[in-house]
Amino acid sequence: MLSADEISGRDEDMMRLLKENGVTYNIYGDPAGLNRPWTLDIIPFLVSQEEWPVIEAGLLQRARLLDLILADIYGERQLIRHGILPVDVVYSHAGFLRPCSGIRLPGARHLVLYAADLARSKDGRIWVVNDRTQAPSGSGYALENRTAMTRVMPELFEGLQVRHLSPYFHALRNGLNDIAPHGRPNPRIVILTPGSSNETYFEHSYLSSYLGFTLVQGNDLIVKDNHVWLKTMGGLERVDVILRRMDDIYCDPLELKEDSQLGVPGLLQAVRSGNVSIANPIGSGILENPGLMPFLQPIARYFLSEDLLIPTIASWWCGQPKELDYVLAHLPSLGIKRIYRSPTGTSSVDAASLSARQLSDLRDRIKAHPSLWVGQEKVDIASSPALIKGKIESRRVLFRSFLVGTSHGYEAMAGGLCRTPSGDGNFIISNQTGGVSKDAWVLSPERVRILTVLKEAPEKPEPDYIDMLPSHAAENLFWVGRYTERVLGNARFLRTVMQFVAEGNKLITEPTRQTERSLLVALTRYSYTYPGFAGEGSEGKLGHPWAELRDVLLNGDRAGSLKFNFLQFHRAIHEVREHWSTDTWRVLRIMDEEFRQDIPLSHHGHLQMLRTLDNLITFIVAFIGLNRESISREQGWILLDVGRKIETSLLLITLLRTTLVARSGDAVEYHLQQSVLMSNESLVNYRYKYRMPITLGLVLDLMLFDPNNPRSLTYQVNRLKVYLKNLPKNPAVYWLTEYERLILEADTLLKLADKNELTLAGPADKEYRVLNDFLAKMYGLLSGIPDVISKTYFKHELAPKI
Amino acid sequence: MSLRRKYNITHRTTYTYFEPVSVCHNVLRLAPRNTSQQVCRHVAIRISPEPDTVKEYEDFFGNKVIYFSIEKEHARLMVDVQSEVDIVGPPTASLWRPMGDGGEIRQFIFETPMTAWDEEIEQYARVSFQPGRSVLEAAGDLMRRIYTDFEFTPGFTTISTPVAEVIRERKGVCQDYAHLAIACIRSVGLPARYVSGYIETVSPAGVEKLIGADASHAWFSVYDPAMGWMDFDPTNNMIPGDQHITIGWGRDYADIAPMKGIILSSGSHGLKVSVDVKRLA
Repeated sequence: MLSADEISGRDEDMMRLLKENGVTYNIYGDPAGLNRPWTLDIIPFLVSQEEWPVIEAGLLQRARLLDLILADIYGERQLIRHGILPVDVVYSHAGFLRPCSGIRLPGARHLVLYAADLARSKDGRIWVVNDRTQAPSGSGYALENRTAMTRVMPELFEGLQVRHLSPYFHALRNGLNDIAPHGRPNPRIVILTPGSSNETYFEHSYLSSYLGFTLVQGNDLIVKDNHVWLKTMGGLERVDVILRRMDDIYCDPLELKEDSQLGVPGLLQAVRSGNVSIANPIGSGILENPGLMPFLQPIARYFLSEDLLIPTIASWWCGQPKELDYVLAHLPSLGIKRIYRSPTGTSSVDAASLSARQLSDLRDRIKAHPSLWVGQEKVDIASSPALIKGKIESRRVLFRSFLVGTSHGYEAMAGGLCRTPSGDGNFIISNQTGGVSKDAWVLSPERVRILTVLKEAPEKPEPDYIDMLPSHAAENLFWVGRYTERVLGNARFLRTVMQFVAEGNKLITEPTRQTERSLLVALTRYSYTYPGFAGEGSEGKLGHPWAELRDVLLNGDRAGSLKFNFLQFHRAIHEVREHWSTDTWRVLRIMDEEFRQDIPLSHHGHLQMLRTLDNLITFIVAFIGLNRESISREQGWILLDVGRKIETSLLLITLLRTTLVARSGDAVEYHLQQSVLMSNESLVNYRYKYRMPITLGLVLDLMLFDPNNPRSLTYQVNRLKVYLKNLPKNPAVYWLTEYERLILEADTLLKLADKNELTLAGPADKEYRVLNDFLAKMYGLLSGIPDVISKTYFKHELAPKI
Repeated sequence: MSLRRKYNITHRTTYTYFEPVSVCHNVLRLAPRNTSQQVCRHVAIRISPEPDTVKEYEDFFGNKVIYFSIEKEHARLMVDVQSEVDIVGPPTASLWRPMGDGGEIRQFIFETPMTAWDEEIEQYARVSFQPGRSVLEAAGDLMRRIYTDFEFTPGFTTISTPVAEVIRERKGVCQDYAHLAIACIRSVGLPARYVSGYIETVSPAGVEKLIGADASHAWFSVYDPAMGWMDFDPTNNMIPGDQHITIGWGRDYADIAPMKGIILSSGSHGLKVSVDVKRLA
């Protein structure tokens, strides 16, 4: 027996564990609620060894029944033709997708995945409250909950014999193998996610790594030749089976929801041609339909000659006159559901909670489209003990059970995901409105031998080569690399300029005044924040630069500002968020806070801006360091670093062109050269290496040609040469690829450059022309590389030239 | 059935892309189907550049669908559909009886996003649909009223303008007229469907040219339990007969849009559509 203190302590351990594992649930429309940590009640929901077989049999029957209904609705429509199911229940439901009519999934079953929300009423009976048939979520959370519970409360599992969850996941893999087109062995299976802002994205990435299926977004896939292909770094790979976590209509913008950015154009055609299988099949949302409830019993008689083992909650479908009258007469005592979720508003209402006015509105809505409404008896859900803020309270519980269909029949998870409402009064339990989860324990008559949930080794382990990296992830890693350096480079130059302005105010001489102006103009050109100090209206800003400087630092809506670049950086990171460690997230959170400050335009404010820049620079350097530890070299590192090296090169060239090319007198040029060294963290390096006053020739030597200076252009180009050689390449191609040609040319140009010639200028020249031409040419070569990489590896637009 | 008319229809759609497109997927509903009134003798489809995949099938409503994809870079897409259609049925009755009702008729009663009605639309419908009137009589009256009350105004609406706005402004084009009539008929609980097709554009000398020339046309059809489906063209205030050629039908435009496509490209595009309906006999 554990003491109350001990339980509280374990509870805290468990929350920390879940947080460290990055278990989250996203709340839509709430930016602060993104990545809300998952909450788990330490007290499990128990199902006894006597009760479970009864529940299980009922669920298996219901899954079989729903499978038959689904096949019938999109096939022969016998239920409708024989008058067992009213036409309107199907045809007026928005989830009945006519383009899916006639499509058959290979394999024995249509409904591969099924989840049911169960409730236990106070008299102990079990009821099905909701059916989930499109892309049921929660099985991954159930697994993660179980993992956390076994780690925190191992002794409980020894005392009680708790059934394992792993047979369900084993069946899931079999079920997906079973629907592979043309019975292909070892099918390529992917999990299709709407993306990282989806509420259950954590689960998508968790299941992807647990099951060994690649996690993809719509734009990772492409339909060609009526087949579905995964864009990877190594080229296009045929996809056989898609486990989708996306609602029906988002799957294909060509035939379903035209403005869906999430789906794959042409997907339904590939399905129709039988070249790819999707679980669950597109269109299965028709079963998420309370209008079916009153007809399930007759349908069970019709198809199975059986009675329902788990009875449905008494329901009245308003498409029939008698039932409509009953619902209208008993409105306040019923739960009212729309047969499908309306695009605006929720799908179920507890009529008892409505005011007289709301009731009469609801009555009008039902009367206007009766076939869209169902009245349901309210089940008095039984309570279970829950640990809420250290106290044991009694809460109502919904139990989500998961089933999967294989060629051998359905398999139910012996366990599941329980949810309790956040307050005590709620009729509707949903993770969207908050709520706490619970593990569900199905007790076993026999002693269960293995106590922990063992990760199953995938039958066919995925090689961790860069070739297998989905292009979308690769592209985002590449952009994370570019934005990392863009934020760092801009922060450093901005700091250099601000420091000069802050100090220059005290020491007004003509050269410092001119240097300040040159630096401010260079900043606008460097960060591309025109007009700024370089375009229209610059005269006033040059005299009083702080307002503009603050804007370039903090205005997130202004393209080119530091905050803008940071937000882009943040977005790219989120797109590939499974690649980052908890420490990395902490660094990002602190950076985010730095940008949320409101800084006044006072002397104090100037110092505050400088301090903010100092902090940001420290954090981004920390971020770079953390990446080295946490990103797998094979998979992501190369792309991230290619992005960094390219960005560093381009920024360096731009900095030199905007500061050092113009001739402005020795004194000013000296200051500018010093600024270049400072904003590249190379001043110390310079002094150590040359032990001489700063000159243009030596600055260029250090920043362009020194192979040992990690900030020099030569260093970047050398690294790029190595990385680019490691990108996947068709072994039959013996000639240089386009990016190899570009890097070779850049490398040669650097090697052949005449250092003395670069600093030549006639007395009347306004700029170092040779230097400028050299830099422009380098920029042209290097800036061409990202485009070629993108076309070759991310977009797959370049046809193989063989 | 005897041959009443013979038409040759040329429907050419040209897209010009400002940025080259790497992949495109398209669904065409441009091949006329057979009905009790017409027989489609021949359809020839020419697509340029040559598509990599072409598939033909019938959709849920029995319309002919052509799917194609082009998987190489292109800056221009041209789709040329030539069809030869014989009009064989009588001019006034468009009889097409479905086999039993497994929802084939009832599904045309339900609201769709493009035919969502409000109180104003229902009231407008009630003026025509009065107790004691037959469905066809009422639908004919509705057609006449829309023709008289509304101003045919190209460019005022787009395909996504809701019918509630059309009835407020009393302006629109043939698609709007058809959607409005359908919303009206459904608001009183009757089945109505959207018909896509063409109308003969050359009229005898001295007779005013019909609206809908040189473009796709659209009208509506209402179901009368005794007569079956009956077409009405509110844009021209006439019962479609010898001058109308049906492509197909659905619950609203979205079900029978002539051409839908998804391109992978960052740039914008230009679109040109030309339709020529030539009478051969």
